[in-house]
Amino acid sequence: MATYTADAPVLDNYHAVVSAFSDFLTVAIHTILYERDIYPRSSFLAARKFNCPVRQSRHPKVCKWIQDAVAAVEVEMLKVRVDICKVVLCDVSVVISAGGDNLCTLSNVSLVIHAPPPSSAPLERFLFSTAAFPSLPSSEVLTPFNGSPPPAADLPEQFRATISRLSTLSSALSPLPPDCSFTLVTELRDDADIHPPLAPDTPWLAAEPHLQKQRKRNESEAQPGSTRGKDLGGVKTTPIRNVESGAFVMEMWVEEGKAKFEG
Amino acid sequence: MGSRLEANSAKSRQRIEKHRFENEEGEEYEPSNFGGFTDYFRRKKIKLQNLDAELRSSASANPPIFRGVVAHVNGYTQPSLNDLHALIVTHGGGFMQYLDGKTTVTHIIASNLTPKKKIEFHKYRIAKPAWIVESVAAGRLLPWNAYRVVDEGAGQQILGFDNGNVISQASTQKVGYKDQTDTSWYTGQVQSVAKILDERQSPPSDPEAQSSNTQTFPHSEVASPIKSTNRPVEYELSQEDDTGAFGQGEIDQVSERSFKEVEVTLDEVKVPIVTARQAEPVTARQAEPVTARQAEPVTARQAEPVAARKAEPVTVRQAEPTRDPKGQTNHHNDDDTSVTLLKPSINNDTLLTVPEGQDSKSPCTLSAEEHNALLLKDPRVWKSTVANPGFLKQYYEESRLHHLSTWKADLKSQLQALATEKTSSQRTRVKRTPGARRYVLHVDFDSFFAAVSLKKHPQYVDKPVVIAHGGGSGSEIASCNYPARKFGIKNGMWMKHAQKLCPELKVLPYDFKAYESASRSFYEAIMDTGGLVQSVSVDEALVDVTPICVEAGGHDGKGIHEGSIWREQETADSIALAIREKVKNLTGCDVSVGIGGNILLAKLALRKAKPAGQYHVKPEQVLDFVGAVTVQELPGVAYSIGGKLEEIGVKYVKDVREVTKERLMTTLGPKTGQKIWDYSRGIDHVEVGEQVLRKSVSAEVNWGIRFVTQEQADEFVQSMCEELHKRLMNERVKGQQLTMKIMRRAADAPLDPPKHLGHGKCDTFNKSLVLGVATNDKNILAREALSIMHGWGFSPGELRGLGVQMTKLEPLRGSAENPVASSQKRLQFQTFSPQTGSLPLTTSHDHIDSPQKPKRSVQHPAAAYASQISPSGKRRSQVNTLGTQFVMPSQVDPQVLAELPSDIRAKIKSNEYQGAKNHSDKPRGYSRPASPSSTADNLPTHSQLDQETLEALPEDVRAEILQFYQRSPRKPNTQTLLPQSPHKNRSVNIATKSTTPTKKRTGLLLYGKGHGKSNAASSSTLTQSNFVANRTVTAQVREGDGVAADDDEVSQEFLAALPEDIRREVVDQQRRNRLKKRGGLDLAASYSKKRSGRKEGQTSAGQRRLQLLARPAKPTFTARKLSALPDLREAMKSWVEEFQTEAPFTDDVDALRSYLIKVILEEQNMSKAVAVTRWLEWLVEDIGEPDKMTGWRSAIARIEDGIQEAVKERGLGRLDL
Repeated sequence: MATYTADAPVLDNYHAVVSAFSDFLTVAIHTILYERDIYPRSSFLAARKFNCPVRQSRHPKVCKWIQDAVAAVEVEMLKVRVDICKVVLCDVSVVISAGGDNLCTLSNVSLVIHAPPPSSAPLERFLFSTAAFPSLPSSEVLTPFNGSPPPAADLPEQFRATISRLSTLSSALSPLPPDCSFTLVTELRDDADIHPPLAPDTPWLAAEPHLQKQRKRNESEAQPGSTRGKDLGGVKTTPIRNVESGAFVMEMWVEEGKAKFEG
Repeated sequence: MGSRLEANSAKSRQRIEKHRFENEEGEEYEPSNFGGFTDYFRRKKIKLQNLDAELRSSASANPPIFRGVVAHVNGYTQPSLNDLHALIVTHGGGFMQYLDGKTTVTHIIASNLTPKKKIEFHKYRIAKPAWIVESVAAGRLLPWNAYRVVDEGAGQQILGFDNGNVISQASTQKVGYKDQTDTSWYTGQVQSVAKILDERQSPPSDPEAQSSNTQTFPHSEVASPIKSTNRPVEYELSQEDDTGAFGQGEIDQVSERSFKEVEVTLDEVKVPIVTARQAEPVTARQAEPVTARQAEPVTARQAEPVAARKAEPVTVRQAEPTRDPKGQTNHHNDDDTSVTLLKPSINNDTLLTVPEGQDSKSPCTLSAEEHNALLLKDPRVWKSTVANPGFLKQYYEESRLHHLSTWKADLKSQLQALATEKTSSQRTRVKRTPGARRYVLHVDFDSFFAAVSLKKHPQYVDKPVVIAHGGGSGSEIASCNYPARKFGIKNGMWMKHAQKLCPELKVLPYDFKAYESASRSFYEAIMDTGGLVQSVSVDEALVDVTPICVEAGGHDGKGIHEGSIWREQETADSIALAIREKVKNLTGCDVSVGIGGNILLAKLALRKAKPAGQYHVKPEQVLDFVGAVTVQELPGVAYSIGGKLEEIGVKYVKDVREVTKERLMTTLGPKTGQKIWDYSRGIDHVEVGEQVLRKSVSAEVNWGIRFVTQEQADEFVQSMCEELHKRLMNERVKGQQLTMKIMRRAADAPLDPPKHLGHGKCDTFNKSLVLGVATNDKNILAREALSIMHGWGFSPGELRGLGVQMTKLEPLRGSAENPVASSQKRLQFQTFSPQTGSLPLTTSHDHIDSPQKPKRSVQHPAAAYASQISPSGKRRSQVNTLGTQFVMPSQVDPQVLAELPSDIRAKIKSNEYQGAKNHSDKPRGYSRPASPSSTADNLPTHSQLDQETLEALPEDVRAEILQFYQRSPRKPNTQTLLPQSPHKNRSVNIATKSTTPTKKRTGLLLYGKGHGKSNAASSSTLTQSNFVANRTVTAQVREGDGVAADDDEVSQEFLAALPEDIRREVVDQQRRNRLKKRGGLDLAASYSKKRSGRKEGQTSAGQRRLQLLARPAKPTFTARKLSALPDLREAMKSWVEEFQTEAPFTDDVDALRSYLIKVILEEQNMSKAVAVTRWLEWLVEDIGEPDKMTGWRSAIARIEDGIQEAVKERGLGRLDL
């Protein structure tokens, strides 16, 4: 419909791709928080995004946190390179990974839902894998793409599908204990010259070891994921949806952690 | 009070009135049953009423004034409950000992109520005991309102009648026990006894005491009718039936009859009133205003007070001719023959007989104007009032105070000149280290005028002598010598009073010449000390001699060093002595000197030094010395502040020290509080020689103001404003706030004040007006002052004083000839050179081809355009034209154009023409006005904004423009579409975008985050432009370069919004462009260098585009290369249908399995794999025949197994299939 196409961003450079992603990530996080009952449902406001009813937390601090976290992810992505975005509930942290030529750094972003404090074990990880995003030198962030990836007119529709998939996901996932928290975790690409943004002035913290992949700095031939945190991957995986539109290629799935089934 | 109160109290009133007591045989005298308390109590009340009934019947001689009143007494009262009870009952009222409910009584008598009861009772009639007492004394029921206990709260305005004027006054109910004790019955008794005793000792002079004697009722204080006339009229006019005035708010009680009464008097007009006055002053006074009003409805406001007031002295004089104070003032006015130096002598007798005679004949007709007119008939009087056009000039020439102040100002300027001349280094010396001891001398003549004048009349030296205008009783004493002071004569006293105090007083005239020379020698002597001098007045100066003393002390003046303090003090004393001797030698007069560590101490010391001495407040004595002084003696503290301080229990300065600074600040205000607090500790921060900045300039006249017509008043105000203007000019300031002060004769003041042509007792009105701009223009001032004055609407005859004041001063800048113009803030406009003004908008072509052109031709087109449009150079219009330029369509429908007004059409046409020129090489038909690329070309791009123009704009406008660019829906076009690259691909892109310009602005705010940033960032793709095409297509080169060249004018704000690396690139590009433009560098060389580092190939059009690395091809299924999910499903379906009856081939299953593994691992699309598997499962289940399904099931298990493996390989947990 016309309204969707009116909504469609033109993904003709990497920056546009990233902003579409962060846009979507924000909505997705709000939706997850709502669907997984992290916050009381009454604290969410019905809103419309991607021409689809979505829920938005109306608690200013939650909104602020999400905004900040997503902004930080965006900065990292423009740096460039996130392997997969995973969301873990607590603070923004970086999963160290390795390898490749260029500079776009994040391979994924994940929203990790943790069990309530004493254990704080990750229960669910919602992964937004951006590994298939174009990998560019940072100077080319705003250079328009050459013709091949066509502009993504159906991106909002795909987002809509994803969001509605997210909102029906609760039935597929086993319920969470009360008082869970969440964190946003990003994972860097497994490229050798990628360094975690762990300088003191960044908003990032190193993720807990059991959520980290590690690589040996000097072994460039090290297998990606050679030493993996025990909570990576989880026990059960539920794919959500893939979004593919021009340069925007993202896979999303949920991992349910060991702790969820043990408890 | 509601009807409930009326109903209930009426009931109990009737019950009480009907109550009869025959004998003790009634039911109520029967014994009560056990436990029958209610019965007992009921009987008790009946019995009490029985008592009352008997009491009432026994006192039938008393007038039943309280008939209809049922009262209850609450709490302690004076007189006591018993007395009140007896008073009420014997005068026909009902009394309830027990209050069964607030509404059962009509009045509650109480002196004071608890706060809670005040709230509970505030709708009921709570009266003070005095109401009962005074009503009994008056022999009639006074309105209870005047005796309210509970009022409407402080500050509630109440209506009252004052001599026939409806006045609005603040409720000034005193609360507290003091009230009770002051006005109490017992106090009254004691006082009356005391007065009686007093009167026995001295002949009766006090009218009140006299009157109290005459009262039959002993409670003189409250009962005296004379006293009551001084009160507001409310209760004086109590008996509703025969008065024409309202009580406070008691309108409901004023019966219609009273109005009728008034109407009757209206009809009767004047004659009966005169008689009435003679007969009974009270009614006369009430009636009079009404008649006056009736007589002249238009001038009612002027007429009525006159009449009312005129009546007063006359009647009172008739009654008690010798005692009335007002009568006295009138009389002494008659004696007053003031002859002064400055005023023409006037025989007041002649003046006053006229109005008085008039008064006695027909008092009601004389208005203030008429009075003034009569007054002004005397030419001498006329000369000295405002009716004389030259009055103001004369006034300022002759006024003594004015003379003194101007004299002082002159002296000050002379002194300043002298001081700077003498001690040019004075300023530097003032700087002193904190904590250093200081020595300030306050030198003052002893009774300056008197002392100087006495030199010519040495015979009077030991006699009491005053200096004044003359011996007339109306002149003020300017100065008096010490013998005179012994009689209690003070400066500023009126001669009349002084002469009373000291009949043999000698009056000497002013001798300004002698004063001036004395003052001059006085200052000479002071200057000789070499200290820092500040002139306080002609005869008074402050001297800071610290440096001299410290020098003498031989130390730094800080620490205690052996004997240094002593030496310093010694020096200070000797300096003081030297001054005194020198002045004595030069002028023959004594001066006194106070010495202290600061100005405060010096001033206080001077008090002790007088007369003809000196006093040094040593540092160790400071606290004791200052503490012993009363606060009112402190400089800058007088009645007002002193009174406030007394309220908080401060009389002496030492008491101030007990009070916290905060308390002082809240009581006196922050500044004064701080000052007093400091003063109490002997601290004074003011430095000698510090010039207090002038805060206001004013012109005020309150003598001789007697107007007859409004025109005169207006004219006078105008001339006052002229005077003010003159003074403002002298001070070289202008002000923002104009304050108008008007003194109006007080309502109860006589038409002729005690001082001839003075202002007498006045009500003062002030009104300020803040002018938008500081000014000293006399016309503006006059206009505003007049509007203020007219706003009050006072009758001109009532005016007694006028003043205009200018505050919020600011110094005048610029030349004296044209001060207003030069001090006006002016915007600084950028001037455009005429050449650039004539440049057409199309200048964006040819920078590069002719880089050697004079610089001004590089003037930015936007600026040029702006200057073209608005040659006046107005900044705002520049902005506006820019604004319209943005939205101006480049290609206009000729029909629409034809409809437009000619000027707009011309503008658009010129624009169009330029546009056409721009694109002459690629002409387009007008039929495509929406063509995205053409609009893009014609829009001034962001870069076309001239940096200079932009910077010259006000901050907010600039921000607006930049914002406009950021928001502009067409912006993406201008950014991405560079003119020399009409790339197909892009124009498709643009087409979709330009039809959907609002995308980023829809949606939630939260989600909209980051858009601005991305826009800003993406706009910088401009910097990716290159110049390859320049060599091939010249026209495009020009334009493109015009745009590109403008890149370097990207605003800082804009740059700051960019990410670091992009910014760096933009800045680099800018620099390169600039260099290129200046130096005409070889484009190709710079181009090749610049591009060499880039990996990407150039497209033919020259726009650098990013070729994304081809993503690995998606794995496909079967030879048909299926990849999309629907295709796969279709394939699954046909496959299952095909092999419904048998198990699938292992090869096929393996093929599917390996494909799905690839989907997970390579395509990274788990959901697709899962979807395919589920679909397959569903299809298989759909077969329905269990035996056929086994083969399929194992196949599915195998496929799922593969999928799980693949997922595991990715490091993920098992999929739920």
